[in-house]
Amino acid sequence: MLVFVTVGSTRFDALVQTAISEQVLDALHKKGYRRIAIQRGNSDLGMDGGDNGQDLMVFETNGMEVETWKFKTSILSDIQRATLVVSHAGSGTILDALRQGKPMIVVPNPTLLDDHQGELSSRLDALGYLKATTVNNLAVTISAFDPSSLIPFPPFDGSRFRRLIDQEMGYSVSSS
Amino acid sequence: MAWSHLIFDTLLCFLLSRFFLVIYRSFRRSERPMRRDTETCSLAIFLGSGGHTAEASILLSALDFSRYSPRTYIVSEGDELSSQKAVALEHLESAKITPFDDAAEGRLNYRLMRIPRARYVHQPLLSAPFTTFKCFLACVRLVTVVPLFQKTAPGKPFVDLLIMNGPGTCVPLCAAIMLNRLVGLPTPRMVFVETFARVQTISLSGRILCRIVDRGRSRLR
Repeated sequence: MLVFVTVGSTRFDALVQTAISEQVLDALHKKGYRRIAIQRGNSDLGMDGGDNGQDLMVFETNGMEVETWKFKTSILSDIQRATLVVSHAGSGTILDALRQGKPMIVVPNPTLLDDHQGELSSRLDALGYLKATTVNNLAVTISAFDPSSLIPFPPFDGSRFRRLIDQEMGYSVSSS
Repeated sequence: MAWSHLIFDTLLCFLLSRFFLVIYRSFRRSERPMRRDTETCSLAIFLGSGGHTAEASILLSALDFSRYSPRTYIVSEGDELSSQKAVALEHLESAKITPFDDAAEGRLNYRLMRIPRARYVHQPLLSAPFTTFKCFLACVRLVTVVPLFQKTAPGKPFVDLLIMNGPGTCVPLCAAIMLNRLVGLPTPRMVFVETFARVQTISLSGRILCRIVDRGRSRLR
């Protein structure tokens, strides 16, 4: 079973470092995960010797196979092959993972403007679509995580936006 | 000496009257020119990085690409991910419209335009005015200068419709468009869609822009 960790297009050192910490890897191992893939963006892994500017790295630790890289054009295939997605609370990543029907744990990045990631994660957690947690509570959340308790995310309905734009640009819009 | 006063006063009167007319019109916000179903409508969408690009792509995919054409993707300098996403979206949509039409291949109905960012992620707000002004100049070039010299449709705005969803760089773009309105040049209709990420508090861009755009949408109401 594979867990996919992503920080999106920015930088989130704390999440990346906690993802390869002993507590988190043990919690994952106990749940049956053996592989972890980490998209780390510009984050610092905090490992001795650093990453030497390398992009892709593969190593084993705490009984887990770790694969990590900086960026990819699309992480959709990584989301698709994952059993669990652990992510920063970026709206794009959240929408991608929820629309693929993947169980998701999000960790807001508190350094971003107005802490907007915090608002979004709390609201979606309260609605039952995912579990929101913090860097310090990640291991505990993983241990207690039950994917079957999550509510499926509704599919995108573009018709409202399409009607709004058609109307705004002066096209005839049928009333329904 | 009297001439310079006369010219100056005339110019001032002109600008003031344009200013009040623009403000007045922005309160009225009606006047939609009717379009026939077969008419196309050019659009531009701003792809701020990260989640903004993802949401913008989702929004755009809801529209009819044969109607809203040609399309301009405005991306921030250095944001290769957004450029690639724009190209990927175009390929996906063109496969839907003309999957077996070989003649349609090579007909590009979109373009990519790059402008400097108004504010970089984690950049302190205090230094933002300087980067914002640089961005504003680039927007003026895109919105005002380039269309004036367009051979195909001189006198038309750079696009008919501009869609934005929240990144800070939208504000200088809107300011450039308002400048056009102030001097009487044709401008696109502007639609602002607040980002999905803003749940409780409207974004700073949203706060500034909702007074200016033709149509704004947010989940918060």
